[in-house]
Amino acid sequence: MQSLLDFLAKYYHWLLFLVLEGISFVLLFQFNHYHNSVWLTTANTVVGQVSAWEQEAIRFVHLGEVNAALTERNLQLEQQNAMMQEQLLELTHDSTFTEQYLADVLTDVHMIRGKVVTNSITHRDNYITIDLGEADGVKPEMGVVSGTGIVGIVYMTSAHYSIVMPLLNSKSRISCRLHGTRYFGYLKWDGTDPLYATLDDIPRHARFNVGDVVETSGFSAVFPAGLFVGKVAAIENSDDGLSYQLRIHLGTDIARLQDISILTESFYEEQHQLEQKADSLQQ
Amino acid sequence: MIITFLQRLLWMLALVAMQMLVFNHIHLLGYATPLMSIYLLLLFPLGTKRWTILLWGFVCGLLVDMVSLTLGVCTSAMTLAAFIQPPLLKAIEPQNAAEDMQASFHTLGFWTYVRYAAVMITVFMVTYFLVQAFTFFHLKDIALDFVGSWLLTLVLCLALEATRSRKSSQHAA
Repeated sequence: MQSLLDFLAKYYHWLLFLVLEGISFVLLFQFNHYHNSVWLTTANTVVGQVSAWEQEAIRFVHLGEVNAALTERNLQLEQQNAMMQEQLLELTHDSTFTEQYLADVLTDVHMIRGKVVTNSITHRDNYITIDLGEADGVKPEMGVVSGTGIVGIVYMTSAHYSIVMPLLNSKSRISCRLHGTRYFGYLKWDGTDPLYATLDDIPRHARFNVGDVVETSGFSAVFPAGLFVGKVAAIENSDDGLSYQLRIHLGTDIARLQDISILTESFYEEQHQLEQKADSLQQ
Repeated sequence: MIITFLQRLLWMLALVAMQMLVFNHIHLLGYATPLMSIYLLLLFPLGTKRWTILLWGFVCGLLVDMVSLTLGVCTSAMTLAAFIQPPLLKAIEPQNAAEDMQASFHTLGFWTYVRYAAVMITVFMVTYFLVQAFTFFHLKDIALDFVGSWLLTLVLCLALEATRSRKSSQHAA
């Protein structure tokens, strides 16, 4: 207290000066309209600016919460968007040539619809796992198709899952023909591009063009004749020069495959049993 | 002490009256208006209590404002000038000056007094015109007002001081 009094006694003129200047400015703003308005305007501007800074600081402090809320909202909207896109796709689904073609071919064939669980295209021998098994009536060597063409053949089954050997497997051999002709060959994959396969053994006198449709020949118990496989992308000579080797642009993009159908028509089973019987008689 | 007080009061009233009746009506070349109330602060001798000078300056400025209808303008300028007067006079006091030396041509010498008056008038005028304009948008006009009024005030203060010094000398003789 004594220090404060000493301080005031020593610097009282400063205090008095500030008080008198304060009174002067009070008088100035109180009795002069111009100064008063300038003062109020400036004060308002300053207060407004300070308030804006304060609000910006508060907003900055709460950015974390805002970010979390936005992320949550974004996830909700993404889910909603995905659902709506799916619904839109179902409502505005346009049957392409391939799907219509398949639908016509498979009119009398019973199919089980399923989904791909796991998939691979990076190996030489790729396999697909689907969510259908023996409990659904799936058995090995049944044909697997999608809306864009054939996919492969069921390789192994369990109670609820099955493994499919797709076209993108070095062991896959599917009998195919050129649409509108009776020339056929075997479709195999060279292990490189997942969108292309090779159709061998097409005779040299066959007449066809790039872009012609390739379909299943029906010479097996797996696929009926006429299922879409792909289109001729390039024509090359075979190694021995006796036939053509066709590069086929596959209709099914295995990498994006999600929905599949398994062909379970009973006559396949009957044909399969008959062929096995014939083989055993020959032996 | 009472005589000193009455003398200062007389000076103050005279300066305020002159400001109201004469100086406020002078606008030389449209810019120069003398503000003679500052002369009161030039009269305070060394050793005067600072609160005394502050109060005199404040009251004188307030009276000038009241008669000029510029409340607060001259008051703030006079208060600031009163605040710097004691250290300024102390800084320019000659050697062996009396403790209660009053600034004049005789005690300080002509040029020293001119510098003393010029600094006091400058502080007073700068404050006065800035507070009056309360903006930096018309600095050219403010500067012209300042220069014209500063020159006129300085000349009149020196003339007044010359008259007062001569009368004091005659009175002393």
